[in-house]
Amino acid sequence: MFTEFLYVCRDKGLKISMTEWITFMEALDKGLAHSSLEGFYNLGRMILVKTESDFDKFDIAFMEYFKNIKMGEELPADIMKFLDKGDMDTSNLNKDVYSFDTTRDMEETKRMFRERITEQKEEHNGGNYWIGTSGGSAFGHNGRNPGGLRVSGKTGMRSAFQVMGERKYADFRHDKTLDIRQFQVAFRKLRQFSTKLEVPRTELDLDKTIDSTCNNGGYLKLEFDKPRKNSVKLLLLFDCGGTMLPFSELCNDLFQAVHKANHFKDVKTYYFHNCIYSKVYKDAECEMGDWVDLDYIFKHTDKDYKVIIVGDAQMAPEELFDLNGNYRGPNDGRSGYEWNKLFRSKYKKAIWLNPRFHGSLNQLGWMESERTLAEIYDMFPLTVDGLKDGIKKLMAPR
Amino acid sequence: MLDMKFTGSKEYVASPELMAAVDVARALEKPLLIKGEPGTGKTMLAEAISKAFDMPLYIWNIKSTTKAQDGLYVYDTIQRLYDSQFGEEGVDDIKRYIKLGKLGEAFKSEEQVILLIDEIDKADLEFPNDLLWELDKMEFYIHETKETIKAATRPIVIITSNAEKELPDAFLRRCIFHYISFPEKEEMEEIVGVHFENIDENLLKHAMDTFYWIREIKEVRKKPSTSELIDWLNALMLGGIDPETIRTKLPFLGVLIKKDEDIEVVKKRRIL
Repeated sequence: MFTEFLYVCRDKGLKISMTEWITFMEALDKGLAHSSLEGFYNLGRMILVKTESDFDKFDIAFMEYFKNIKMGEELPADIMKFLDKGDMDTSNLNKDVYSFDTTRDMEETKRMFRERITEQKEEHNGGNYWIGTSGGSAFGHNGRNPGGLRVSGKTGMRSAFQVMGERKYADFRHDKTLDIRQFQVAFRKLRQFSTKLEVPRTELDLDKTIDSTCNNGGYLKLEFDKPRKNSVKLLLLFDCGGTMLPFSELCNDLFQAVHKANHFKDVKTYYFHNCIYSKVYKDAECEMGDWVDLDYIFKHTDKDYKVIIVGDAQMAPEELFDLNGNYRGPNDGRSGYEWNKLFRSKYKKAIWLNPRFHGSLNQLGWMESERTLAEIYDMFPLTVDGLKDGIKKLMAPR
Repeated sequence: MLDMKFTGSKEYVASPELMAAVDVARALEKPLLIKGEPGTGKTMLAEAISKAFDMPLYIWNIKSTTKAQDGLYVYDTIQRLYDSQFGEEGVDDIKRYIKLGKLGEAFKSEEQVILLIDEIDKADLEFPNDLLWELDKMEFYIHETKETIKAATRPIVIITSNAEKELPDAFLRRCIFHYISFPEKEEMEEIVGVHFENIDENLLKHAMDTFYWIREIKEVRKKPSTSELIDWLNALMLGGIDPETIRTKLPFLGVLIKKDEDIEVVKKRRIL
């Protein structure tokens, strides 16, 4: 039963696993849907959907599935069977309540509502016909008619279709290219355990200690080893130019992921505006004067620092090639192109992550800057896969 | 047991969807994962359930350094070594040095309990995965004493998350999920009603309007939440503020907004 619904959900992009689906079936079997469509909706959502950003997808799937049912002839029997199932809360439910016609569609319901409202002269609560509360009529609130129309009242037992129609959770939806967890998982790969480091042997080596102690006839003999520490050092550079504005959230996620991954030996972060010149900025505001010289960075980092540059590589050709291309500061005798060449030559490994990456398309004339920079650095798109590929490059032995 | 239903409590206003989620989690014996903005009462929910069902509550607060093992048990080897040096009695009894964590305590309890794993997203990325077996089977094995701790009655497990980190899929698959959205005005009035018995309606109206107005300003980085509203209302009442001036003068704004730059943003926007 409802297997079709699983596929409608999956079709809408909800990744529902077998475990979850079986749990859902078990819950229906136990009567946890309270024999109502809104119960079905709530139950389905709490078991099958695990993030609020997917609520909207669920709403759409639900609407599509149950709309078809209302038009079809075969399935309503299924639905009725499900609605007839025993309920946990039987005290205030009886067969009588479910005697309404679930196949009536919304238009029909609305038309009937308009008719009924002209007929009705007084307050009605608990019945099956008039507009009122707590009844099985198609109209009113706190009622239990699954095809009904809610008229004001509290949002307790809203008709499922009305809730769906509101698409209340559309705002939560963000089909992000990637989320911070995926970034973090990718960064886990960026580690290199080195025992060659020149550090004192300070960590107790349990296996060796046991061996030595046994050899020593049971008298304790402690053995120490060099600590296994991640030796990866990271130098991050973010482009904060105007064209990067649409990606600020993405960059922020990446930044957060790096900083939450506390397994790096060192992380240095700097910012630049469109292109790297003789100076880079200390924070994302890129205020004039709030900068350090590249020379300073060269002095304070060694060639083993892994460099990740994040930027869209979009700029006018003169910004990259002209000796006076830097309109926000000094060029100090080199063009942006030469500064980048110099910068690249100082480190063994450097990658460029580009949120607007055009790949082979950058052969087109107007993408000269991206093409040129992609020749200097290994360029990857700023996505999970791009980051993974980039990190592979950073970790490659050569 | 199933006829017991969660209907909120005197101090806690629960939406019907939330109450249904609690019931479903109990019936299916699955952990209930609660997500939502800070200040929507995630932690208070467990207290309310504990009161409503009259069951003891075990709270396991998760920190960034918490390991899954901490919740199960800790073998206090140092204490044992120390005791042995001074010839204490019972050093050969390892059991004396096994200290159960919150999860262990909850499992060992004779009666059914509520176990709150608070802010699970604070811990390491893989932390939730390390608890899969224990939460599924409600048991764990103590190697040192060759003993299995198994829950006699499954605790009701409530897990909260501030969405600081995304949780692993394998973990999510086993949970019932509920998202507490920020309360709408109507609901908020109900919540305020729980905290203040008699509040001047005019004051409440103006304060609420201003509160929701501030929340709508996109530039405000840290949006004020329920607890800040409650504190602010308290301040407004104690300060004897004229309700009509709330929106224009924004008294005690610091109670509502904690960041300097946010205060600047709000002040710039106010109607004079």
